[in-house]
Amino acid sequence: MLTGCSKGGSDAGDNKKQDEQNAQRQQASIKFGDAADSTGPAPAVPGAKNGGSMEVLQRDSYAHLDPAQIYVNDEMTVAQLIHRGLTGYKATSNDGKQHEVVGDLATDSGTTTDGGKTWKYTLKDGIKFADGTPITSKDVRQTFERLFAPFINQGPTYIQQWLADTTGTGYRKLLPDGPYKGKHLPDSVLSTPDDKTIVFHFQKPHPDLPYALAMAGYSVVSAKGDTKEKYDKKPVTSGPYKIQSFKSGKSMVLVKNPDWDPKTDPIRHQYVDRFNITFNQQFEASTKALLADSGPDRTGISWNNQVDAGNLSEVLRDPKLKSRVVSGYQPYVGQMNINMSKPEMKDIRVRQAIAYALPVTPFVRAYGGTDAMEVAGGLISPTVSGYDPKFDPYGKKKKPAGDPAKAHALLKAAGKLNMKLTFGYINTPEGQQYSTAMAAGLKKAGFDVQRQEIPAETFYDQVSKLNNTYDIFHTAWGADWPSASTVLPPLYDGRQIADGAANYSQVNDPHVNSEIDRINTITDPVKSAAEWEKLDKYLLTKVINEVPTAYYKQTQIAGSKVGGLVYDDVIGGVDPRRLYIK
Amino acid sequence: MLRFLVRRIIGAVVILFLLSIVTFVLFFGVPRDPALLMCGKTCNPDSIANIHHVLGLDKPITEQYWIFLHNLVAGSDQFAQGPCPAPCFGYSYHTNDLVWSTLMDRLPTTVSLTLGAAVCFLVVGLGTGLLAAWRRGTLVDKTATAGAMVISSLQIYFIGPLALAILVYQTHWFDKPAYNEFTGDPLSWFTGLIIPWVVLSTIFAAQYTRMARSAMIEQLQEEHVRTARAKGMSRSYVFFRYAWRGSLIPIVTIFGIDLGSLLGGAIITEYTFGLPGLGQLAVQSVFFSDLPLLLGVMLFAATMILVFNIVVDATYAFIDPRVRLS
Repeated sequence: MLTGCSKGGSDAGDNKKQDEQNAQRQQASIKFGDAADSTGPAPAVPGAKNGGSMEVLQRDSYAHLDPAQIYVNDEMTVAQLIHRGLTGYKATSNDGKQHEVVGDLATDSGTTTDGGKTWKYTLKDGIKFADGTPITSKDVRQTFERLFAPFINQGPTYIQQWLADTTGTGYRKLLPDGPYKGKHLPDSVLSTPDDKTIVFHFQKPHPDLPYALAMAGYSVVSAKGDTKEKYDKKPVTSGPYKIQSFKSGKSMVLVKNPDWDPKTDPIRHQYVDRFNITFNQQFEASTKALLADSGPDRTGISWNNQVDAGNLSEVLRDPKLKSRVVSGYQPYVGQMNINMSKPEMKDIRVRQAIAYALPVTPFVRAYGGTDAMEVAGGLISPTVSGYDPKFDPYGKKKKPAGDPAKAHALLKAAGKLNMKLTFGYINTPEGQQYSTAMAAGLKKAGFDVQRQEIPAETFYDQVSKLNNTYDIFHTAWGADWPSASTVLPPLYDGRQIADGAANYSQVNDPHVNSEIDRINTITDPVKSAAEWEKLDKYLLTKVINEVPTAYYKQTQIAGSKVGGLVYDDVIGGVDPRRLYIK
Repeated sequence: MLRFLVRRIIGAVVILFLLSIVTFVLFFGVPRDPALLMCGKTCNPDSIANIHHVLGLDKPITEQYWIFLHNLVAGSDQFAQGPCPAPCFGYSYHTNDLVWSTLMDRLPTTVSLTLGAAVCFLVVGLGTGLLAAWRRGTLVDKTATAGAMVISSLQIYFIGPLALAILVYQTHWFDKPAYNEFTGDPLSWFTGLIIPWVVLSTIFAAQYTRMARSAMIEQLQEEHVRTARAKGMSRSYVFFRYAWRGSLIPIVTIFGIDLGSLLGGAIITEYTFGLPGLGQLAVQSVFFSDLPLLLGVMLFAATMILVFNIVVDATYAFIDPRVRLS
């Protein structure tokens, strides 16, 4: 009932419209805002009203509320309401598609005078925690120093690595106990000359700092209220809402934080009086409840639950639901990895043959059709700056079922007809479904495909082992911020090949490596976006270590009395900050 | 009686002890690492090692087991998240909640669900079964038997969503299932649980109908029943005083086991209706490879089953005076 038999839409028409929208998106790359852009209050949402309670149906309870432990989408969404950081994303349009990075607690998105090695931030006046204490540079220092303590192990690690100028977990050596045993980061790394000023000193340029600081994982933590491990349950919050009650695994109630001053916040609103969050609501249950639209569900929404696959087609095609339904991209891009460490994969014609032969249709179909998956051209998602909607190196958008004839010719020219190709697939119902059909497509092109199942629980563990036995396997990766700097370097930097690392295809190309280093130093985000896109094209036309399959999409639904409903590209879901009760 | 209880309780403790060892061995036996689920996108061997260290998973398994046993009996103040009084299962890897408080927090949901459903399925199931036995061979009997056959072959994950779609979302006759605390608002506690009770008890009721009917029919063919009838006792007196009493033994046995396992968590029902009970915790603990929570849920559920087994055995003595426990 719930799988693979949705109608699928008219592929060509849908894709074309999508492409046009994406082209507009691309022209509006994200810029770093100045002091004027960073001044609150946030521009009013048209038609918004104050008051009322909103019911929020969520599947998973929040395991972490300590900002430093937040890296999961659900928690990042609630963090938008309760936590604030030095920077944040301000929506500059009412459709959730255009953004700029602005100062949130800071007066601007950051100033650097040496190409991104030194970054200076000044805190705004009038910013307070929900316990009424003012937020000072001392709190910001605590926020970053505690990231080095061993108990912080689930959040992002970018800034720690930049401060320590190292990769992996080597950064912990810089301050092994965090700030808890009287030691602090030296002024040469992080300086706080007065109550309002914070200066980051990096050894290498990191022009992406304003993006990184906008991650929920780098939201501010109260120095006075830092209870270490216990902070995860009872954080001192700073956003427009504070936690009135949290029953782990059951429910959470958010109420207005009177110590939040809208004049300091260019990003968030505080229209709704109260959010009643109920957990354990499966996708089917939340979809049905919100579709029924009765009683309290009329003011109901889910921030992170999708419309389930069984109801998706109906929900998207019912004109009456149009004002209650939003769709958009998740940050993930699916890709078929070609294992470059295998001797048989050294011949580029073999890799080209895989790229042309691989059918993408089975993958799209397994996950519910074109409503849930969009055939991908490049490796950069439509929500990331630098995306080029016209780029389609293997003609997948036109021929999602693959081009076995062309692949056959390439394989014949390489003298490798009927060569063995080991395909490691994830053993889920979807994985079984698409891998069978993909294998059939590759077979048509002249490969002798051997499918090998990998248990879902250990899938990423297995395929990220250097000596794995698979020639091809499918993975997905999502950007941490809307720049390809969180996509191409972790996936394709040849110097980061290691057990467990994300360079799954084990590609090590000198040009790619040197380009990564070069582009990482470009300070203008619009220019670097264009350069990343060039590198994307180089990878897919000259290296061919991956075949992009699909951009992940999702659809969400709300009750009829929910206003301000918008799918935000950066959040990757409903934007909770602008919701109001009609 | 006392000797019986002591013997059975010792037996139960031994079973729980063995079960905890099996759980431990299985947990470390499967190729699944809780650290992998926690270390996110930037995972590498160092960060996994760090998480192992923080969770105490870098210690030898025997030492970890010893610490587990020690904490369970004596409690511990070694946890960074806070104190952990006995019975201490530690703190959940995934949520950092104290496992014992989580269990106690979820228990009222499961107890409410189980007891409400038990009342429903006992009344409906036994009532229908008795009626069918009383009117054996008639249309009533045939309808009840056939109906019970069909219903008991259904599954909760089928009738649950069906009941929701029809009774809640289309007709709006009932409230959307939810667990509200009894002490807070008894009425919404009741209305929120009606659908789960009905769904969970439907399948059980069908089984109890079949069981009660066949047990009664068997009893009615016993010699002492025939003798009683031959002595001129009324049909209803024999039916309820003789046959009913005799057929209680198998019913009580099954009921004890059912109640015990339901109190350990009605996984599918809780999942279908989004009720935060012990069954959901069990799923969650497996999903997140959450050893402390897994051990907590496993041992708690097992304890429930063992306790009800002992209770069942003890009640035999009351039902049937011929049974001597020692």
